[in-house]
Amino acid sequence: MEEYTKQIPQSEAKPDTKPAVKLSGVCKRFGDFTAVDNLDLGIREGEFFSLLGPSGCGKTTTLRMIAGFEDPSEGTLSVAGEPMLGVPPYRRPVNTVFQSYALFPHLDVAENVAFGLKRSKVAKGEIGKRVAEACEMVQLSGFENRKSSNLSGGQQQRVALARALVNRPKVLLLDEPLGALDLKLRKEMQIELKNLQHSLGITFVYVTHDQEEALTMSDRIAVMDDGKVRQIADPATLYELPADRFVAGFIGETNTFSGEVVDTAKNRAIIHTADGMDIEAFVPDGREVSKGEEAHAAVRPEKVRLGGEGDNVVSGKIRDVVYLGSSTQYIVETSGGERISLVKQNIRDASGEKEGDEATVAWDAENCLILGG
Amino acid sequence: MDERKGWSWRLAGLLSPAAFWLGIFFMLPLMLILVYSFGRSGVYGDITITFDPSNYLRVFDPLYLEIIGRSLAIAGLTTLFCFALGYPLAYFITFKGGRWKLALLLMVMIPFWTSLLVRAYAWVVILGGNGIANRSLQFLGITSEPLNLIFTPQAVMMGMVYSYLPFMILPLYASLEKFDSRLKEAAQDLGASRWHTFWKVTFPLSLPGVIAGSILVFIPSAGEFVIPDLLGGSRTVMTGNLIQQQFLNARDWAFGSALAVMLGVLMLGAILLYIRKVGTDKLEGV
Ligand SMILES: Nc1ncnc2c1ncn2[C@@H]1O[C@H](COP(=O)(O)OP(=O)(O)OP(=O)(O)O)[C@@H](O)[C@H]1O
Ligand SMILES: [Mg+2]
Repeated sequence: MEEYTKQIPQSEAKPDTKPAVKLSGVCKRFGDFTAVDNLDLGIREGEFFSLLGPSGCGKTTTLRMIAGFEDPSEGTLSVAGEPMLGVPPYRRPVNTVFQSYALFPHLDVAENVAFGLKRSKVAKGEIGKRVAEACEMVQLSGFENRKSSNLSGGQQQRVALARALVNRPKVLLLDEPLGALDLKLRKEMQIELKNLQHSLGITFVYVTHDQEEALTMSDRIAVMDDGKVRQIADPATLYELPADRFVAGFIGETNTFSGEVVDTAKNRAIIHTADGMDIEAFVPDGREVSKGEEAHAAVRPEKVRLGGEGDNVVSGKIRDVVYLGSSTQYIVETSGGERISLVKQNIRDASGEKEGDEATVAWDAENCLILGG
Repeated sequence: MDERKGWSWRLAGLLSPAAFWLGIFFMLPLMLILVYSFGRSGVYGDITITFDPSNYLRVFDPLYLEIIGRSLAIAGLTTLFCFALGYPLAYFITFKGGRWKLALLLMVMIPFWTSLLVRAYAWVVILGGNGIANRSLQFLGITSEPLNLIFTPQAVMMGMVYSYLPFMILPLYASLEKFDSRLKEAAQDLGASRWHTFWKVTFPLSLPGVIAGSILVFIPSAGEFVIPDLLGGSRTVMTGNLIQQQFLNARDWAFGSALAVMLGVLMLGAILLYIRKVGTDKLEGV
């Protein structure tokens, strides 16, 4: 467990520098509906920071408050150390890549990209140079004189990106910028975006509801639900040490067990579930539980083995077999009715378990984690 | 190849009712006017077809040229005033109208519900020598004698702006309504103040409405004859009145036709010039 949390490869971010974006106690209410509830975020300079959460959890609202399109109902917000309350969007050192791109249809690509530079009174020769640079950076050279309505989705996305980046903002806000693209293009753009962010060193605040996208691109992720932040951590920690059941379920797949704690030892607890299983689980520091308490434990499907030995061994019947290409997913139902999902790498072997077969599943306490909340 | 043919037959089928209608009721009278304009009117209003350009040469009489020039100027100014009044109103209805949008639009259109003649007469009642405007001014002690409000070019323009304002507002509303307000946010995000956002984004994108509205106001204004008749008196004669006189009083249909053709050609020219100036490639992709 410790191993995983230590080998985080990420972060060009300098934790000691002043935060690029800071939100303290920010709430946003629409009428009596609370879209964002008491949000505290400190986004570091040069960081690729993602806001991740299900639809309607307040990601866009948070981004719009940073950009200046919405005012917080409560709390304070600062960008690059400057308080932003009452500062209109056109005076904030941030730029946005909108989900809908929002390109100006009456302008061509170069004019779209030059729009911000013209407003900030950059010299004419300088504008031309920077527009050409920006177009090259997003691989749109040669498209300068095309009308934005005559571009493909991916090209429009690049124009939107160039139009924002050319202003060299302190912070770039991206609201599901890849949402409208097909899977292949999306993957390509993910890599390009990450490379750009790396080479430019600009702070990115990236909104997505795609957990895979967030995991592969971000230095840190804030998982949101219902207007509240559930956990802020780097991708590996989020996956290996989810704070609570919501995060465990939202980031990747997971099997969760709930029950009463019947025994505890150093970093170990045994939970007795309602249908009679005793599950031995790992207790991370700070999540200590005591006997008699209700607790939840989670194990990832890829950490569960079909057959064999382990700290936890449960027998049941295979209910479902789903071929996933590189792996196969099995759903095993215990006699008590609990369904355990597991994923096995596909290698050529003789076993070939089928639906309806009796089987045992096993996993180690190391990989089975007590959840908070 | 075959498929194309089938398609074009179907298209012809779809278009034929409109083509028939326009052919009979639009093209035919127009051709007739064109033919008449080259004819000669007899003493009793009969026309001999002569292919004689003399009617057109008569148009170049300074008296007629002045009237045509005045018509175009009044129509142009009417269009300008309609735009100046209509744009802010259309903008307000579109972006600030909220749930009153429909009611406000209906109010814009209410004047259409009565005939033009009745509305023009209403202005006679208001602007006349003993009309509401003069009596109010005198009552308030601002003037001591009736002002000469009616039978002036200003009175004609006032009546025309009033009558044609909806023709400006409705196309403007239609094009502003299509405006994607996310573009406003994008502009502001890129550092454009409200003023710049309007002039660099909102206004250019509403140009199709501006052009449509201008043409819809300019064309009927230039040919108008009821309003100048009632509000302009004998001093503000417009081309429409002149044509009307030729057809109904002087019974010189040939010359009336030539005037009508000239007016049509001039307006077409003015509109083409205008679209060139305002529109061009800016309109692509809008
Ligand atoms: N202007 C508004 N007026 C009223 N409610 C709003 C407004 N804007 C957002 N909301 C509500 O606030 C909540 C959060 O919206 P938000 O757009 O931030 O969600 P999101 O996390 O971006 O979702 P998605 O992934 O679907 O884009 C939603 O329930 C939404 O209906
Ligand atoms: Mg959103």
